[in-house]
Amino acid sequence: MKLVKGIALVAAAAALAGCIDAPKKDKTVDNWIDNKDLSQLRAGIWVDPTGCDQWIIDDGAEGYLSARLDKYGKPVCSGVAPPNTAIGPYKSGSSIPDPV
Amino acid sequence: MVTRIFKTVGACLGSVLALTLMLGLTTGMAQAKEIKGERYVPTIWVDPDGCEHWVMDDGWEGYMTPHVTRDGIPVCRRGNTCGVMAADQLFTTDQSYITPAGQARLQEFFRSATATAFVIVGHTDSRASDAYNMGLSQRRATSVAKVARSVGANVVDVRGYGERAPIAPNTTAAGMAKNRRVEILCIR
Repeated sequence: MKLVKGIALVAAAAALAGCIDAPKKDKTVDNWIDNKDLSQLRAGIWVDPTGCDQWIIDDGAEGYLSARLDKYGKPVCSGVAPPNTAIGPYKSGSSIPDPV
Repeated sequence: MVTRIFKTVGACLGSVLALTLMLGLTTGMAQAKEIKGERYVPTIWVDPDGCEHWVMDDGWEGYMTPHVTRDGIPVCRRGNTCGVMAADQLFTTDQSYITPAGQARLQEFFRSATATAFVIVGHTDSRASDAYNMGLSQRRATSVAKVARSVGANVVDVRGYGERAPIAPNTTAAGMAKNRRVEILCIR
């Protein structure tokens, strides 16, 4: 809770100082401490309850999830892990420690 | 007299102009139905398979969804196809059993391929009926999957698209030969 308050304070201060554009206009970049273009995200695999793969990215404050499809548009169900499991480097794209 | 006519005509033209403008404005307003929305322009993230996703960062929240065509086909810069076997080198016409030479080639392929899972997809040219070709491509894909599993490969899906997913025009013999194929997708 302390951490969340701290982050909120820093965010408010940054907004006051005009460091960030709020409401955020450019949705294609992550302007936060780990400044980067969104194309650099590192993904892992989350296996959904059906057993099919989803790309999962934990990018510090933001989290992303998107279907893994083959070139015909069918879900990829590789069986790489049991359902409800996440594997791979999905937390490695950001240097920000993630308490959750 | 002349000036009076001029004035009348002028006033008339003026009101016509005003009316036209008003009409134009009202029709313009009717056309531009007001849509209340916030501008959300995504960028593209390319997944490890080489396929595109729309991605947006809204400050705190992040959003992502696959980039697909209106037909639901993913937009990929490269796919995870790791082998395309010419059907002519595995099967004889209309058949789905694999020749001994074809068996050897497939075994070699699946022994050396490094993938956690394989998807086998059969295709035909456009001779014979669509329904027949759907069946033939499925039978051929199943034959390939059997060889793959015999050497320990993890086959997770076997499909046949018949003549529905050509990679070349079926107007020439060379094009048809290209379309007769079994694709192997490597899931890494």
